[in-house]
Amino acid sequence: MGAALGAGIAVSIAGIGGGIGMGVAGGKAFEAIARQPEVGGDVRTLLFITLAFIETLTIYGLLIAFMLVGKVE
Amino acid sequence: MIFGMHDGVLFHLGPIPVDHLVVTQWVIIALLGTVAFFATRNMQEIPRGLQNAFEMIITWANEFFTQLMDKPHVAKKWAPLLTTFFLFILVSNYSGLLPGSATIDGFQPPTSNWNVTMTLALITFFSIYVAGISENGLHHFKHFVSPSPAMLPLNLVEEVAHPLSLTVRLFGNIFGEEMVIAYLLFMAPFVVPAAIMGLSLLLGAIQAIVFTILSASYIAAATGEGH
Repeated sequence: MGAALGAGIAVSIAGIGGGIGMGVAGGKAFEAIARQPEVGGDVRTLLFITLAFIETLTIYGLLIAFMLVGKVE
Repeated sequence: MIFGMHDGVLFHLGPIPVDHLVVTQWVIIALLGTVAFFATRNMQEIPRGLQNAFEMIITWANEFFTQLMDKPHVAKKWAPLLTTFFLFILVSNYSGLLPGSATIDGFQPPTSNWNVTMTLALITFFSIYVAGISENGLHHFKHFVSPSPAMLPLNLVEEVAHPLSLTVRLFGNIFGEEMVIAYLLFMAPFVVPAAIMGLSLLLGAIQAIVFTILSASYIAAATGEGH
């Protein structure tokens, strides 16, 4: 019971953090491209790298959730 | 049964157990190899068909990595490895979406197991050293004590965190996506999973690109002047 709750909480809190971070990063990137369309390619590559780093933290939460789900009978 | 791992040792090759993941990877390698073989056999001055497509991929990859790594000779040296990473991970990710693949007992995309993704990440890990030492000689190891020796512990942690995060990112994404599709198939067998499968076409490609870009930027960082 506790493990199932923990799994849910782990993945949801990780999701909230990652969601906020990705929203800010993506929004700023679109703003930058809208102002200076000629740097679009560079911004896109950097955005992908940044999103990957943010996503890793969310995936850590997901990983913990999977580990906890493995404990649920 | 941790992480939905299917213990599928199919046969032994001498003392080495060969499981379903290894066989799937062999199939993927054979597939890529065969397509590449037929594309480059009987090459023409004016490319047509498959050869044209492959030349497009190679040209695009070379340009992309040159722009990303800003040292052209380094990019030229490492582009083949990185492009292979991309193609292999892309085909691995998509292998789970093939119609009928779920009916094969114990089938899973190779990248949804972290033994496979860690192998890929370790190739990157050692490539960073090879690239750094071949470019800067033993000065490469200076980056452990830059900007000051007090940063040594943090730099060591970072050194381990790079391959670890590459491993967990690819494995977590693909495995999570597979689990979501499996649960959806269990709850609503028709139509509904198709939406998520469409999304995972996009996700699979993005993860392949991300792994490649991050490997490229780690290698570029190791070969840069800063170290």
